[in-house]
Amino acid sequence: MSALRSMFREDRYFLMISVFIGIFSGLFVVCFRYAIDWSRIYLLGTGAMPSRTRLLLAPALTGLVISVLVIHLFPRAKGSGVNQTKAALYIFNGYIPLRTALGKFITSALAIGSGQSLGPEDPSLQIGASLASAIGRRLNLSRDRMRLIAPVGAAAGLAAAFNAPISAVLFVIEEVIGRWTAGILGSVVLSAVSSVVVTRWFLGSESLFRIPVVELQRPSELIAYAVLGIIGGLASVAFASGIEHLRPRCAKMLPWTHYLQPAIAGLLIGAIGAMGAPQVMGAGYNYMDEAMHGRFTWQFLAILALLKIVATLLSFVSGTPGGMFAPTLFIGAMLGAAVGGAEHALLPHLGWSPGTYALVGMGVLFAGFLRVPMTSVFMVLEVSGNYSIILPVIVANTFAYLISRTLMPTAIFDVLSRQDGMELPSMEEQREENILRIEDAMQEPPKNILDAGDTVEKALRAAEGSQDEVLLVRLRPSGWSCIGLSALRALGQAGKGEQTLDSVAAGEAIPLLHPDLPLDMALRYFDRWPLIPVVSRANLRELDGVIAERDVLERYRDFAGE
Amino acid sequence: MAAGPLGFNSYLGRKPVVLTFLTALATVLFLIVSGISHIYTAQQQSLAARWSGRGASDLKAQHFIDAVADFRTALLYNRDNYSYQLSLAQALLGLRRTDEAYAYLINLWDRQPENGVVNLELARIAAGKGDTWRALRFYHNAIYATWPGDEEAESRNAHFELIEYLLGIHADTQAQAELIAIDANLSEASPLQEQLGKLFLKAQDNQHAFAAFHRALREKRHDGPALAGAGMAAYGLGHYLAARRYLDEALQISPDDQQSAEWLRRTESVLTLDPYQPQVRAAERDRMAIQGFTVAGSRLKSCAATGEAAAIEGLRKNWADLKSQISPGALRRDPDLFNQTMNLTFSIERQTSRICGPGSDDDQALLLIAGQHEEN
Repeated sequence: MSALRSMFREDRYFLMISVFIGIFSGLFVVCFRYAIDWSRIYLLGTGAMPSRTRLLLAPALTGLVISVLVIHLFPRAKGSGVNQTKAALYIFNGYIPLRTALGKFITSALAIGSGQSLGPEDPSLQIGASLASAIGRRLNLSRDRMRLIAPVGAAAGLAAAFNAPISAVLFVIEEVIGRWTAGILGSVVLSAVSSVVVTRWFLGSESLFRIPVVELQRPSELIAYAVLGIIGGLASVAFASGIEHLRPRCAKMLPWTHYLQPAIAGLLIGAIGAMGAPQVMGAGYNYMDEAMHGRFTWQFLAILALLKIVATLLSFVSGTPGGMFAPTLFIGAMLGAAVGGAEHALLPHLGWSPGTYALVGMGVLFAGFLRVPMTSVFMVLEVSGNYSIILPVIVANTFAYLISRTLMPTAIFDVLSRQDGMELPSMEEQREENILRIEDAMQEPPKNILDAGDTVEKALRAAEGSQDEVLLVRLRPSGWSCIGLSALRALGQAGKGEQTLDSVAAGEAIPLLHPDLPLDMALRYFDRWPLIPVVSRANLRELDGVIAERDVLERYRDFAGE
Repeated sequence: MAAGPLGFNSYLGRKPVVLTFLTALATVLFLIVSGISHIYTAQQQSLAARWSGRGASDLKAQHFIDAVADFRTALLYNRDNYSYQLSLAQALLGLRRTDEAYAYLINLWDRQPENGVVNLELARIAAGKGDTWRALRFYHNAIYATWPGDEEAESRNAHFELIEYLLGIHADTQAQAELIAIDANLSEASPLQEQLGKLFLKAQDNQHAFAAFHRALREKRHDGPALAGAGMAAYGLGHYLAARRYLDEALQISPDDQQSAEWLRRTESVLTLDPYQPQVRAAERDRMAIQGFTVAGSRLKSCAATGEAAAIEGLRKNWADLKSQISPGALRRDPDLFNQTMNLTFSIERQTSRICGPGSDDDQALLLIAGQHEEN
């Protein structure tokens, strides 16, 4: 019985629930993928190159239907879904209505299938989070667990859509949760893995792309990848700035225009397709695959990257539901292969493989536009399954990330949150935060340190020569306590001068602090101990300093002034 | 459920029951999605088959643009289908979009390095790009690869194609080696003996060429091309009488065969001008020497007329000096004069050929006789 009880302990139970969340998310994402394909077949036809009439009419008319659905039935389905999931975690205690998942499923499938330049990953993330939230509510999970359950579902949804569990877990940690927390990691990983297993069961285990041979022939080629990082960083800033400026303008337009915005976006994207670039329509994974295998000239690849930025801007700022993962990958792949091709044309001796440049380009846009540097590296590794590409990826991504951060300090998802009136935590801000630590406020160790074996009289003699109101007492065999000068005097006047300190004032040992701990930790103890010893982690009897409430407050005051 | 939400929640609150319920729900959903998946997969396969069928027709009709579009569409529905990718690559090759085709083919090669069709197409691309090392590698792969249908015939065709490629890049020695390898594996009665003979002929291996044509003629005595080939090979071997016989027969079967007629003319020239032929009477020999000398004199005149008179002035003088000395009687009396006459004739033919380019059939014949005489 106790074994059964142990098995169903709260944390283990939550892990089991996470597996089910993964399974359900995987099943829904499989259906979502089918729905997108069916929607494409019925709206654009079965051919790879739809007729011009279909190209112009299908996205425009479907845009009208989508806007009606979003405005009247599924208002929360608007946008990519990443920020909404994050808001559920930080604002709504993990609550995402199941209706949102349904709305996202229908409207995104229609939008992507009709050729809007959006992808299925972010909606899958939101669908997963929404399912998880519904399961959590049904199971009456605690508020803490409910808050955690949305990211668990998000990881499952994203992993299923992307067929890449590691990238999904990292993305959820970097972007949705926004901080490293060990407590949720197990659940997130379990749900991601179980959803990928389900997806692979139905959709096969092939990766998104047929990865060509990837190799770095000479270390000097890293310079070429650095150039790609710089160009990718600039493109990311242009793309993100476009969204930053156009999205609020579209949102502020007269309410009746909101019915037309997705339709107009669809019409314009259809026009781009009809004019000879149907590759920019939809998620475009097959064209990324073709770019990797050298199907396009570098000039055409550059044009496709530019047109995809325009098309995605149109789709996204018009409020059409759909994700930005796939367009980001598309732009990155085309830009990467274009830059690689151009470099090869200028310097023919340079080793050149469109597949390698396209893959690195994907990572570059991930790092520069979505600003998820860890995910960007692991995503490329996971998709390519080739670790020899890691060096070019890290070099290029670092350049892209630094350029993007310098030119556009706020990451795109934070920009979107603020435009929606929300202030959500972000790992990028956390990285930039200057955290105050104990070592920033602690004082030198006092000269007079009493020993628990000292008599009260000896302690009084030692204290008379000191300015300190509170004296530290070293306990035996280890630990620290403190005693006020007035209390010591009172003991002397009470005739206890011959007695030892531990016999007359055996106070509770003070919790130890270490120099690297956050400064706010010290505040927890000042109501009971006026002076806290700061000791080395290597030797608990070695006093590095002491800290009092006044020191902490002064440091915070100085910090605010800085 | 009748207990209302609170009752239901308390029911679900029992963890083992919850997990059992979730397992049951997952199983039901799994079955439902399996059903949907079945419909989806069937539709995708049907669309893939429909578009690939169209693609195959277009490829057959050499409508390569349409074939490319069709196979691309088929691949939308069945991305990893090997034969669709191969057909797409072949359609792209039809449009001379070799880089794109190469990308597909090399990917297919990674999946099945033993595929003969893929290796052969890759060899052709490499050959087209002048990448001899890769071309030879893929051709050899293709020869020893697996082929659909008649594996032996496909492999041999690839081998013949390799030989044609080698001959095209003037690697005659390598081509001869490959031909000898085929020869060793080809039955004597094979209808390919004639083709083999022609390739040997191209590779300037007259001995093997003659043998191959001879085997072909054993199977089909009145095969015009084989007779012509045997005639040419015999000519190359210096067997002019045999060459005349074969070429005569070839022309009887195909009177319009210009090539055989040309070779026969050359053969006749050699037979008319070669005083070193065995069993030639002395009078005939002297007549041939004088005729050859006269042909050389005409050659000097025609060469001088092209503006190269200065370069051959010495030869003209030597020819004129000797001309006054030779007659059938003088040649018969003085064997040294005969040798001197022939040496000057050969020298004139060689130098005029270098200075003024190839001459008439008689001039060519004299050059050939000169070469053979020196060999002997």
